[in-house]
Amino acid sequence: MSERSIRLKLEHIVKAFPDRGGGGMVRAVDDISLDIYSGEFLTLLGPSGCGKTTTLRLIAGFELPTEGRILLDGQDITPQPPNKRDMALVFQNYALFPHMSVYDNVAYGLETRRLPRQQIRDKVQASLKQIGLEKLDNRRPNQLSGGQQQRVALARSLVMEPRILLFDEPLSNLDAKLRVQMRSEIHRLQRRLGITSIYVTHDQVEAMALSDRIVVMNKGRIEQIGSPQEIYRYPATRFVADFIGRANFIEDVPCRNTGGGQAQVDLLGKSLNVPIRFEHHAEKVTVLLRPEALVLREDPSLKQVVIDQAMYLGSEVEYVVSIDDRQLVVVEQDPRLSRVYAEGQTVGIDFVAEAVHLLPR
Amino acid sequence: MQAMRQSQQVKRLQAIFRDPLLAVVLLLMVFFVTITIVLPLVAMVGESLSPEGLPLFERYLSNPVYQTILMNTLVLGTVVGIVGTLVGFLFAFVQVKLRVPFKRAMHIIALIPVISPPFAVATAAIVLFGRSGTISRGIFGVRYDIYGLDGLTLVMSLSFFTIAYLNLRGMMEALDPALDEAATNLGANKWRIFRTVTLPMLLPGIASSFLLLFVEALADLGNPLVMGGNYEVLATRVYVTIIGLYDTTGAAVLSIILLVPSLTVFLVQRYWINRISVVTVTGKPSGTPQTIDHPLVRWGLFGIVIFICGIIVLIYGTIIHGSFVRVPGVRWDFTLEHFDFVLNGIGAQAMRDTTALSALATPIAGLIGMVIAYLVVRKDFLGRNLLDFSTMMGIAVPGTIIGIGYILMFNSPIMIGDFTLIPKLTGGQGAFGGALAIILVYVIRSAPAALRTGTAALSQIDPSIEEASLSLGADNARTFRRITLPLIRPAFLAGLIYAFARSMTTISAIIFLTTPQTKIMTQQILNEVENGRYGNAFAYCVILIIIVMVAISVLYFIVGARTGAERRLEGGL
Repeated sequence: MSERSIRLKLEHIVKAFPDRGGGGMVRAVDDISLDIYSGEFLTLLGPSGCGKTTTLRLIAGFELPTEGRILLDGQDITPQPPNKRDMALVFQNYALFPHMSVYDNVAYGLETRRLPRQQIRDKVQASLKQIGLEKLDNRRPNQLSGGQQQRVALARSLVMEPRILLFDEPLSNLDAKLRVQMRSEIHRLQRRLGITSIYVTHDQVEAMALSDRIVVMNKGRIEQIGSPQEIYRYPATRFVADFIGRANFIEDVPCRNTGGGQAQVDLLGKSLNVPIRFEHHAEKVTVLLRPEALVLREDPSLKQVVIDQAMYLGSEVEYVVSIDDRQLVVVEQDPRLSRVYAEGQTVGIDFVAEAVHLLPR
Repeated sequence: MQAMRQSQQVKRLQAIFRDPLLAVVLLLMVFFVTITIVLPLVAMVGESLSPEGLPLFERYLSNPVYQTILMNTLVLGTVVGIVGTLVGFLFAFVQVKLRVPFKRAMHIIALIPVISPPFAVATAAIVLFGRSGTISRGIFGVRYDIYGLDGLTLVMSLSFFTIAYLNLRGMMEALDPALDEAATNLGANKWRIFRTVTLPMLLPGIASSFLLLFVEALADLGNPLVMGGNYEVLATRVYVTIIGLYDTTGAAVLSIILLVPSLTVFLVQRYWINRISVVTVTGKPSGTPQTIDHPLVRWGLFGIVIFICGIIVLIYGTIIHGSFVRVPGVRWDFTLEHFDFVLNGIGAQAMRDTTALSALATPIAGLIGMVIAYLVVRKDFLGRNLLDFSTMMGIAVPGTIIGIGYILMFNSPIMIGDFTLIPKLTGGQGAFGGALAIILVYVIRSAPAALRTGTAALSQIDPSIEEASLSLGADNARTFRRITLPLIRPAFLAGLIYAFARSMTTISAIIFLTTPQTKIMTQQILNEVENGRYGNAFAYCVILIIIVMVAISVLYFIVGARTGAERRLEGGL
């Protein structure tokens, strides 16, 4: 990102919906402020009901915020209807017009803009070529496979050259293989065209693969904003740590602030200095250790654990081990390089010191 | 909290008003429904609660004559509801659950009563089974008195069972066959599955069919007028009170008494049946339904349905045959004089007027139904449910009541200061010789059906398809025209067909609104039947049916025609 000009600005957005059944209101989006930079790929990530889709729909204009403002390139667009906002949304279920051909679907938005016929034709054909569907322009949506439908939906939005491209869980209806393929295609297209994109998903892998920045949401609020690396390695809250990847939490670990943003903790029989990234006062902290940061080794000098469960997954082996009345998940990469331990066996446990991350209690 | 929710809805309303066209359309719909449906009903309620009206309630309800009439009405409604639902259930069951021949023919025969004019079935039944009936007297030699509850049950069940049939058939087809398979898998036999799975799942459908028929039977004027004999019901009493006694106040009071059960049923239908319904019609059956192969069940039910089909064919055959003979049931020599009477004589004007007015009302009703459906399903605004409810009142209320409401409301112009908001509509001096009132009644009687089919169709369409259109820069109007309407075209077509057929065959709602200048076929048929000129009546019926069938083909041709985009698709494949 060369120039960090702000494309879209959300200011204290609140969206309240009537409660189901009762007479109350639920805050689906609860005071969100967010800047989206020009050309960046930003993902709203969170579990279902966290308000990410509502936020996207507020940006697109399908919902009106109860409070707050939305600014597009510095201009207040809060009261504007969706068709007046220069954005295009790629829907979860594609939302292709079933009574129109692929060509007519892609041309629809351009026709709405009343572009000259020839120009529409050129643009649509270029767009279909881009996604490799130029030969299927006469087909109807129901004559296409899921992946092809998704491509048409993408082309239909891309051809509009919108100021912001919005994605609402576009890959969730595809099977696993196709999802990975489309993911890399979206990645490639977005990086090449440099269109500012906001992407909603509950799939953390998808979010990490695609995004420049990830916004992790929970209960209508923002938990953390950061690059995929920051979010994965240095989650700010336990929620983020738990939602992104798998996590072992070791609670009530004694901790001494040694100054300079460092703290000394005693962990699995070892004492070590680790950076501490939050205001710290308490005596004890929660330690986050990713399963891949734990190592099993037959070494009597290490803390000993019992293997409760061993699951061979091909590229890795997943163990559940017990230590001091608690269970930890350990993932050993590429089991060809080491041995697979049997259930019931006792082995030593170690960890990668750089991977230790402290969370407030 | 309630206030906050309301403020949210007000906000939504403001959102609608940001789109001027949407706002205009919404206001237009509200205005139309208020003027054509709400105001006449209010006028009628007002009249019944007036100082002259109020004492009549007590007088009527304590009078044994009227008590009998009320009882008759409820008994007739219940009996027709039960018999009609049973027949409809049988037809649906045979279609969905049995492997038998002639299913297509049975389906078409079951649909015939929908486009039949009133009196047709009743008159034909009299010719066949009456005192000197071709079958009752001619074959069995009995002078059977068909007038009364038995005759009414026969003709009304045959006239209305199609509603139950279509309703239940849709539900039976929507039943997930996986449930049957699960039950079989758990060791249940077919009878047990029927008792414990199929029937309970269909119960809401059966209940709603019964209620629909009950209301139809309550509201029906044509059949009781011809076939009632001494069996008087509220609808006919209202008619006599107006036509014979010129007592609008009395008629309004009777109407309110008639309105109570009709409206109760409508409310039960709307707020209770829908809630307990467990079958969701997805339009995507997840397998082929299992058929029932027990020979006794299979051929027994088949036999009954074929027998009923036989009666229907016989009745409609009688109508056609009767239109070509001198005096149906008495003198069987061939003649074209009835058709000459209708086509070249007095009937010609009625034929032209009725067709023209129906043709005018049809697109209006269809469009209003679709637009209100769109607003109600897709837009959230304060008064949304009220708009839907008010529109539905157009059909939930018996036709005679609508007619009286119109007389009361529109007998003089509605003025705001010196400005004539609505001119005088009813009577010979009414706008366009009373034709405008009739068109409006046609519209409000058929718009609810279009609204319902439109609502059902829209609920099936993912809102994100329309949102995609908005997201691509199209406004609400373009989205409705290019996306919504093409997608709900089958519902639109069904709405139009219903509107035309309903308008052509309606009697109760317009019987008080016809004028010397504006003649309506159904009214003319009644005249002919009352004067015993069955041949003329049958000729009217035949021509009316032909007009409706031609109109259906025309509608299929216009609305069913493929769009340009679709033609290009066909060509490309």
